[in-house]
This record gives sequence, C-alpha cells and structure tokens, in this order.
Amino acid sequence: MEGVRLTVALIIAVVLQWTLRNVFEPFAYIDFPLIIIVFAALQRNSIRAIIFATVAGIAVDALSGGLLGASGFAKTVVAYIVFEMARRVYLDNLLLRIPVIAGACLVNDLIYFGVHRLFSQPPAADLVVVAVYRVIGTTIAGTLVYLLLQSMSGEKVHRRKRDVFTPRRQTRRRNPIRLNK
Amino acid sequence: MVALLLVNFVLMAFDARDKTTGQRVVRAWSQTAADFVQSPVTTVTSGIANYFYSISSLRSAQSENDILKQRVQELEVELKQKEDLASENARLRTILNLAEQNKYKVLTARIIGRDPSVWFDSAHLNRGGLDGVTLYMPVVTDGGLVGRITAVSPLTSQVDLITRSTSGVGAVVGQIGDSNALGVVSGTSKKDLLEMRYVPGNVDVQVGQTVFTTGQDGIFPAGLKIGEIVNVVSGSATTPHVIEIRPAARLDTMQEVGILLYQPGDKPGFDKALPNAVKQK
Repeated sequence: MEGVRLTVALIIAVVLQWTLRNVFEPFAYIDFPLIIIVFAALQRNSIRAIIFATVAGIAVDALSGGLLGASGFAKTVVAYIVFEMARRVYLDNLLLRIPVIAGACLVNDLIYFGVHRLFSQPPAADLVVVAVYRVIGTTIAGTLVYLLLQSMSGEKVHRRKRDVFTPRRQTRRRNPIRLNK
Repeated sequence: MVALLLVNFVLMAFDARDKTTGQRVVRAWSQTAADFVQSPVTTVTSGIANYFYSISSLRSAQSENDILKQRVQELEVELKQKEDLASENARLRTILNLAEQNKYKVLTARIIGRDPSVWFDSAHLNRGGLDGVTLYMPVVTDGGLVGRITAVSPLTSQVDLITRSTSGVGAVVGQIGDSNALGVVSGTSKKDLLEMRYVPGNVDVQVGQTVFTTGQDGIFPAGLKIGEIVNVVSGSATTPHVIEIRPAARLDTMQEVGILLYQPGDKPGFDKALPNAVKQK
C-alpha cells in the first residue's frame, strides 16, 4: 500500500514538473520528483528509491533541453546517499528532514551541472543563482509535501496512539517484610 | 544501483554524441505522452489567466477605445492606399509573367510546455511530425526569432530558444547589404540577453540598432529580426566588438509562435568534398 501511494505521488510530481513552469515561471525552481525520491529513500527502501530516481529523472530529461539521463543519474546518486544516511542516522523527525531535502537538492544540482560540463554541454543558467533558488524552493515545497504525506500515512496515527497509550513502566516492589529480614 | 547509473550514463553519452539535436526515441515518445497532460493543462490555465487579464484591463478600456477609434480611421486610409498599390503590383506582375509566391509558409503553434528543468531554455509546441514539422525548422513570433526545432514527435515538437548558450545564429547589424557588421549571436547566462561575437572592431556599431539573421548559417533564413543592441563593448582593429542584444521576441511570455516551413538548402559543393565527408560515405 505504501508503495502504491508513493508511486502515485511520484507520477503526480512528474506531471507537475512537466506542466507547472508554463503556468508560473518560479515553479521551475521546485524539484517535485526529488522531494518524493528523498521521501522514499527516508523510508529505508533503497531499491524503490533508486528505481523511482532513475525513472523520474529520465521522464524529466525527456522533456528537457539537457542530456537524456543526466537528471536520472543525479537523482539515483542522491537517493542512494539519502538511503545510507537514513540507515545510519535517525531521520524520522520532520525537522531533521528539512536539512536533508535541502542538502539533497544541492547535491543533485551539483551532479547535474557537473555531468553536463563533463559532456561539454554546459547549462545556460548560472550555477550559484539557480542552485540557491532551487534549494529554497524545493526545501519549502518539500516540507509542505512531507507534512501532507505524513498526515496521509499511518505513521502519524501509530505515533499518536503510542504517545497516548504509553505503557507505564512497572517498578518491582520489594517486600518490606523481607527487607527487614 | 550500479546498473541504473550505467544506464543513465550510457543514455547521456549517446545523447551527447549529436549536439545539434535532441531527437531520440525515448524523448519523442515521452513528449507524445506528455502532450496528453500538457495540452489540457495549458488550455485551462491560459483560459483562467485570460479571464483575469480581461477583468484587469477593463479600467483602461475606455481611453484605449478612443485611441483605437482614431487609429482605425488612420488605418482605413492606409489600407485604401495599400489596396491601390497591391492591385497595381498584380497588374505589373501579370505584365512581367511573375508568379505570386509567399516567401515561407508559416504553421502556427501553441506553447504547451516549458523546459521542466530550469537549467535550459526550451519549449514544447503542439505541432509535430504529423503536421509537417521537421528538425531544424525556425520558429518565430510577430516580434522576431525564437529558436529552432530540435526534437519532433508525432504530435509535439521541442524548440531550443536562441537564448541557449550552445545556439548560434549568423547575424548582421542592420540590413544585409548595407552593413558589414557580421557576427554570431548566441545565448548568455542571462536569460533576457544575447551576445553577438566576432564583429570586427573597426566597424561602427551603435546601441539601438537592430540585428537580423543573415541566412549564411544554413539554419535560419535571412532577414529575420533577432533583437536590438543594448550594450557595446568596443573592440579595436585587432579585437572584435562584444555586443549585447535584447531579443525582439518576448521569450518569457509568448504563448503562440509560428513555425517556418523552411528547409535550408544543401551545403555548397566544397563542403561535401572535405575528407571527413568522404569518409562518412
């Protein structure tokens, strides 16, 4: 069920990436597929995250003027890095996920730019300016999307239940009579 | 993971082989699939945007109406003169046995999408191979040159804008024949500026002059307006000018464009005689 939900989210993200720039130019600074890929990687399912990254990357590249596969390459590397981080470090808190999505966006942009330089097809846009705008845009959108996804998933419900019905710690009482003995 | 990275790398290497076009099977079919999403979204959003624009423009409608009425009267007089000239032209053509012909056929197209990555400047049009669009066809608006077709799918096509850094347009400052300020126009890192290079430093170039295509690049026909000069860093007898141009077409806000059904002629004979060309045979 979780997989289906994330797949639907990824399809919506790709469609938004395809269409929103034509509606309002600043939407181009939000990387919707990357948000979903990072979320999938944070669920500690590496295979799903990496496949999502490649498929979404190629889907975006197909409609882009850049190299076919460049975005797929960058996103796959980012998905793996985020997965490895989530495996080693506790990242199940929304506040901790905010710097993760910002860092993921930055790494993604650096790899994307570097790969194009490697193949002698430098992007027209300025790296620093675009990277800064994209980090800001993607981080804000990512935080909102994560809130939405968490509210939709059962994760929050389980946590709330756990908080409300915390099992009380039973301390073992010693028999005072025995103590006196 | 290594396999997927390798797939992406191979795709990139394959795509980078030909820098002039992005025509790939994956791209063509993805664009066709995306058309079913992009076209309805564009129709709906442009409808909503036009509705709000029409409301906001109601304020100035009265004063604009008065100006337009006056303009209509002036144009009626001009039209009458033009009709006289056209009929005279037709009579003279008949006398000289010249056939009436348009320079290029224009196919109007709507922009249904922009480049999903902010790094590049390209747009997607709702006309494709089934409408007769082929690679490298020039795209224009009423303002001026927009770019050229770099990928064609059956229903859509992709146009790389002239602001892309890898684009190159043979250009001349002023009218061809009147000026020898020839150079190459290409994109810069700034989205609304173009750069013209290789213009000899001893040629007089002024801010405000218009730049047109020369047709010598074998891609764009001659005489298309590219833009207006906004800045000139003067060169010398040995160094060329560096000229900044503002594109004549409104590349950010354009919604409809025209595809010139123009195919550049064959390259001259001496190109075909080059050693590399012989090897390719």
